[in-house]
Amino acid sequence: MPSLPLWLSNTRSLIGFTLLIFIVGAALLAPVLAPHDPNEQDLINMLLPPFWVEGSDAAFPLGTDSLGRDILSRLLYGARVAMTVAIFATLGATLLGAFLAHLAGYFGGWVDWLIGRIIDVWLSFPPVVLSLILMVGLGAGLWNVILAIVLVDWTRFCRVLRSEVMVVRRRDYVSAARLLGFSHVRTITREILPATLPLLITLMALEMGIAVVVEAILSFAGMSVGNEVPAWGQMIADARQDVYNAPSTLILPSFAVFVTVFAFNILGDGLRRSLDTRLTQTERA
Amino acid sequence: MSLLSVNGVSVAFANALGTFTVLDKLTFELQPGKVLGLVGESGAGKSMIGRTIAQLLPNRFHVTEGDLRFDGRDMLKTGAAEQRALLGRDIAFIPQEPLAALDPVLTIGQQIREHLDHIGRGAGRRPERDWRKVAIEALDAVHLHDPAGVLDKYPHQLSGGMCQRILIAMAFLSQPKLLIADEPTTALDVSVQARIVGLIGDMQRRHGTAVIFITHDLRLAREICDDVLVLYAGKQVEFGPASEVFERPGHPYTRALQLAIPPAAGEHRGLFTLPDRMPGLMSLKQMGGCRFAPRCPLAEARCHEVPPPDVTVGPGHRALCHKPEATPGIAPPPALEHRHRDPDAQLLFRARDVSRHYITRARLFRKPDTFPAVRSASLDLAEGEFLGIVGESGSGKSTLARLLVGLEGTSGGTMELLGRDVSGMDRGTAAFRRENVQMVFQDPQSALNPRRRVGEIVTQAMEVMNGSRADRATRAAELLQEIGLSPEMAQRYPSQMSGGQKQRVNIARALCTVPRLLIADEIVSGLDVSVQAQLLELLLHLRRERAMSIILISHDLSVVRYLCDRVLVMYRGEVVEQGEVDAVFANPQADYTRKLLAAMPGEGAPAAEKFAAEEAFA
Ligand SMILES: Nc1ncnc2c1ncn2[C@@H]1O[C@H](COP(=O)(O)OP(=O)(O)O)[C@@H](O)[C@H]1O
Ligand code: SF4
Ligand SMILES: [Mg+2]
Repeated sequence: MPSLPLWLSNTRSLIGFTLLIFIVGAALLAPVLAPHDPNEQDLINMLLPPFWVEGSDAAFPLGTDSLGRDILSRLLYGARVAMTVAIFATLGATLLGAFLAHLAGYFGGWVDWLIGRIIDVWLSFPPVVLSLILMVGLGAGLWNVILAIVLVDWTRFCRVLRSEVMVVRRRDYVSAARLLGFSHVRTITREILPATLPLLITLMALEMGIAVVVEAILSFAGMSVGNEVPAWGQMIADARQDVYNAPSTLILPSFAVFVTVFAFNILGDGLRRSLDTRLTQTERA
Repeated sequence: MSLLSVNGVSVAFANALGTFTVLDKLTFELQPGKVLGLVGESGAGKSMIGRTIAQLLPNRFHVTEGDLRFDGRDMLKTGAAEQRALLGRDIAFIPQEPLAALDPVLTIGQQIREHLDHIGRGAGRRPERDWRKVAIEALDAVHLHDPAGVLDKYPHQLSGGMCQRILIAMAFLSQPKLLIADEPTTALDVSVQARIVGLIGDMQRRHGTAVIFITHDLRLAREICDDVLVLYAGKQVEFGPASEVFERPGHPYTRALQLAIPPAAGEHRGLFTLPDRMPGLMSLKQMGGCRFAPRCPLAEARCHEVPPPDVTVGPGHRALCHKPEATPGIAPPPALEHRHRDPDAQLLFRARDVSRHYITRARLFRKPDTFPAVRSASLDLAEGEFLGIVGESGSGKSTLARLLVGLEGTSGGTMELLGRDVSGMDRGTAAFRRENVQMVFQDPQSALNPRRRVGEIVTQAMEVMNGSRADRATRAAELLQEIGLSPEMAQRYPSQMSGGQKQRVNIARALCTVPRLLIADEIVSGLDVSVQAQLLELLLHLRRERAMSIILISHDLSVVRYLCDRVLVMYRGEVVEQGEVDAVFANPQADYTRKLLAAMPGEGAPAAEKFAAEEAFA
């Protein structure tokens, strides 16, 4: 497949990427695609089953929940929250984590020591506890969820990347760049970052999956977006009381979370493989 | 009866483009307990011979004709299971990269135990205590310190020399009849190399093992081998007793390789530089006559058309050439004129009592533990002078180089460049130093950014000065021209170049800003002698054209003797001796210098005796 870029010429990345195009498409086009207003309550049509079950209504293809809201529309809108959190939380965690990782790995010495100690302290809190403490402190809300994820997960980036930066930093071409008059900033951005980028991208894909799960958990606990915004975790929470007579209300949003996380993970895994082989080819051939 | 007999064996590689012969009609024998050397440039097919004998050919390679007998067995007809059993038991391997051959996630003990199981002497039959005892004895036999401790270590916690010793110990565990050692010492420095070679010889004599020793170092081959096979582009061009082959080479290629090596002692002479490179696999098909003809100094019309005959040139000594009798006539170019220090030359660089301590353990409220990598080194360098720095690995050569270029700050001492103090690390000093001093790094693999094109790499210095794209392209072409590469190479990535070409790029990058002093750290180690000779010629050419000074760090003393005016000997961070090259080589003052000189292959006593093997590894 010569027309595909290298990072996609891998079945795993391709599957992940295709799934994500659909999910992002659904999120972007939710207002167009959704047959109903996701918050519109239709008390006559409560707990309608999805189309493959007898007694369904063609106007609500995936059925309705206990308040008669259209599940398909809520899933589509829920994708918006999931994607927003995935993208912004990951960007934030990446920026913070990668910035500190490059500082620590490149300069070493006391900078590294200091950043290392901060990470140690951070990691001494279990991540779930830390995010709950943060959410209580920050209060509910979409941007606070994002902030909490950033504050919890930047250490993951920082730790993994820091050792990678240290490996690259020891290569002679980095010393050579300094000798040719490159400033520290230029050396990091032009010589080191390109080498750590594959790992960074892979970590980002995985982090997006994690962010989707964390958002689902927090909205399940009612700590994410308010009631007026549909989110997958919330849908799962709402479906709890009807789990026996309308299992699809629980299964469908869970499945949405699962597919999204799966897509991110398989993309990350595929990226890691193809970027790794590219590296082994250029660096060892 | 011979242990191994190879008769007309050819090996081919098949892909979509066709079938290519990799090894062409090899014919040689190996007697039990003897050492056969395989020599030739990299890519000639040396390792492929080893793999063919062990029946470990990579995918898509297969033997197309001939007869291969090991210990009376027809190797080409034995089944896969039998072959696997033979390997490791009757045939042992010591690969080129010791670290790659050991499993990084298993301890040395676990790996030895697995190996013992494989050869059928392991834990399966003996109690737990026993395999440890066997392993410890084996490690003790290769003079490893604290063998019991080593068993619990992982490969990355050990030095290259130690890993190589472990592999030797494992190879001899099964008392094999044949040992194939693929460049076992290329990655190690002279003194470690001498010990490893001594060790293999020792074990070989003790167990009566036959050895196939693959190396590109002719001096080493001469020293340890009974017979030698010279390989060129898959052809066996010369075969015979080592003394015969090296005293009276029948093939021009053998003679050319010999003359490409700077002599370690005696008369100075020029280096014979073989032009170009060995033809690649794909182009061999089009070559009708002698494969060496394009590079052969004796080539004539028939050489290009008629394949040369296998001529007997002495007792048991054959050469594949139309006119082997003309070979002794190939003469080396005249010796370089060794210059003595010009008293009027301007002083370029001066270092006084420079030292560097590394903190090995930081402590709160107390002085940290330090390790002195360089202690009180002083040197003077005149404009246009070539200074060599020699010493074994870990002696502080690279650290001193990094101090001189300013990649690291000193812990004490002063440095002056063109009369200006450059001991500090401030911006102005750094810029001044950068303009005048540049460095060529040791390992081209690590020194060239794999993501940049060659054109970008060599003009990297202009990136900071915001040189325009067109300017950079012009400058890149100039630089590539100067170091003997074609301008089209600018579009390549480092991975698309050979080792010698990468090293040229490495040099070109340092030349971009026209420095007055070039510091070259081990830039020819591990390269073929032919490539080494080409690079040394390049440095001499640069000296003529640019009147540059060079500090050449090398563990190969003959290279320093050939190229440099003065030499500085380092041992454990200290400068133990310095002086004019001829004086130091003829009349070494320091004990360490004498030892270093004696450890050179091809000089004096056999390798085994030069360095007592039980000496600790640095
Ligand atoms: N960053 C470092 N920290 C601690 N020790 C070091 C460091 N760099 C080099 N050394 C030590 O300094 C000594 C000299 O090393 P080096 O200059 O690389 O020697 P050479 O070039 O002769 O092989 C070695 O013992 C090495 O282990
Ligand atoms: S046959 Fe001719 S070209 Fe080949 S090695 Fe002999 S003299 Fe040289
Ligand atoms: Mg070194």
